[in-house]
Amino acid sequence: MGSSYALRFAVGSILREKWIYLLSVCTIASSLFFTALTVLLLVHVDSATRKLPQKFSVMVYLGESVSPEDRDKLVALVQKDSAVEKTVFISRDDALKELKSTLKDSAFLLEGIGENPLPDAIEIKFKSESFGPEAVERIKTAIKDMKGVQDVEYGEEFLSAVHALRKGLRTAGVAVAVLLIVGMLFVSYSTVKILFYRREREIETFKLLGATKRFIRTPFLIEGALIGSVGGIVSLAVLFALASVLVRQLSAAFPLLKVLSFPPGLAFALPLSGLLIGIGGAAIAIGRIRY
Amino acid sequence: MIRFQDVSKHYDSQTALRKVTFAVGRGEMVFITGPSGSGKSTLLKLIYRAEKADEGIIQVMDWTMNALKDSDVPLLRRHIGVVFQDFRLLDNCTVFDNVALALRIRGTQDRELKAKVFEALKLVNLRHKADSFPPALSGGEQQRIALARAIVAEPLIILADEPTGNVDPDTSAGIMRTFKDINARGTTILIATHNRELFRNTGRRVLRLDFGNLVGEEAA
Ligand SMILES: Nc1ncnc2c1ncn2[C@@H]1O[C@H](COP(=O)(O)OP(=O)(O)O)[C@@H](O)[C@H]1O
Ligand SMILES: [Mg+2]
Repeated sequence: MGSSYALRFAVGSILREKWIYLLSVCTIASSLFFTALTVLLLVHVDSATRKLPQKFSVMVYLGESVSPEDRDKLVALVQKDSAVEKTVFISRDDALKELKSTLKDSAFLLEGIGENPLPDAIEIKFKSESFGPEAVERIKTAIKDMKGVQDVEYGEEFLSAVHALRKGLRTAGVAVAVLLIVGMLFVSYSTVKILFYRREREIETFKLLGATKRFIRTPFLIEGALIGSVGGIVSLAVLFALASVLVRQLSAAFPLLKVLSFPPGLAFALPLSGLLIGIGGAAIAIGRIRY
Repeated sequence: MIRFQDVSKHYDSQTALRKVTFAVGRGEMVFITGPSGSGKSTLLKLIYRAEKADEGIIQVMDWTMNALKDSDVPLLRRHIGVVFQDFRLLDNCTVFDNVALALRIRGTQDRELKAKVFEALKLVNLRHKADSFPPALSGGEQQRIALARAIVAEPLIILADEPTGNVDPDTSAGIMRTFKDINARGTTILIATHNRELFRNTGRRVLRLDFGNLVGEEAA
């Protein structure tokens, strides 16, 4: 079908069946909206929690009588582990200085203490990509019985909780997104299917006049593409409006709403996914054309 | 151009055609007649592959129907113009677009298309109705639009199923004149009709069907 005629034909049938189309566009727009929201939340939670590992390090406190050889052995063993980025030795004197500077005005609290109560320590810093409860556990097991190691301290429970949360959120988010996408495919599918049935006689006439399969399919694919991309654009507009209102009015009070900060990629991603979903649903609905 | 060899067609238990044999040469204009239900429509449908024969051999132009691939059907049909018994016009499209459809299906460019559509509409005296929609037209006018659509692309074969089914005698004569003119240009034409008046004194071949049997061939 000549593309301008096919477009005209498609638009004509959209105008005739405007309520079905309007309903489909709304359904797809709201599904895309929620999908985008889910994905946005996921991305932000993910990047927020990804920053944690840098703050995370494991502290190994050493006994008082540890020899430099034992210390070197310990450091060498720890650094062999592929998850470890580096180790930093913090002497008890440095630790005390740091403590004093942290307390600043309240440093007088320490005045009564005659002798430095702090132990020497080694801070183990992890590479962010391999940081996780497993790596920490592995290191702990390897060194906890070594000579000179007094205590190994890390935010075990907090770490596991963050990881579980991240995993759970990601799974839930992917599930929601998949569900919504399948839903949108189905909406596009059933819209075109309904219209295909309604126009069965028309399609039969096309076939009898010698129309090829492509000629018959083109207007339906255009209709699917229009439903999908208009749905995408509507969802984009709603999301953008919501994001700017929320960020402007509320982000001072609730920094969490920064989650809605607007990635420019969405301006393409939403209409494009709508388009693809619309065409996909239409293609499935038309199915095989037989003569 | 068209050859039937011992062709039979059954619908469920109903036999529509029984061992029918005939041939139509290039450039002929042939009538198929017989009472209602005798198999005229079925015979035409077999030619444009709207139905498949159960037995026998059908040849249309260079195609043997029994061996025709699904993907070749559109090409076959683009060589044939059909005036359907029930017209099969698109109610949502203008008269112009209905006639133009036959050309668009064949990939005709817009420039050529307009001239050809108006020429075909002029031939059936409906040029002034180009912007109307079929439901607003009389049965006879709809019939002539169906005719215009069948001839607009200048197919090699034209099949007409009761093309004067519900028109007055004057219109009917006009339609027959159109067929005669097109036939004079070399188009092969098959006309199915139960109306004997149509071919009286035309001198054309007439195939007579009765209960699916080809009971005779005569010159009118
Ligand atoms: N689609 C169909 N299903 C079942 N029977 C049919 C069908 N089409 C035609 N017939 C039967 O086949 C016979 C021939 O029909 P048809 O070819 O339409 O005859 P005509 O055009 O001469 O009136 C009739 O008995 C009719 O009832
Ligand atoms: Mg009939």
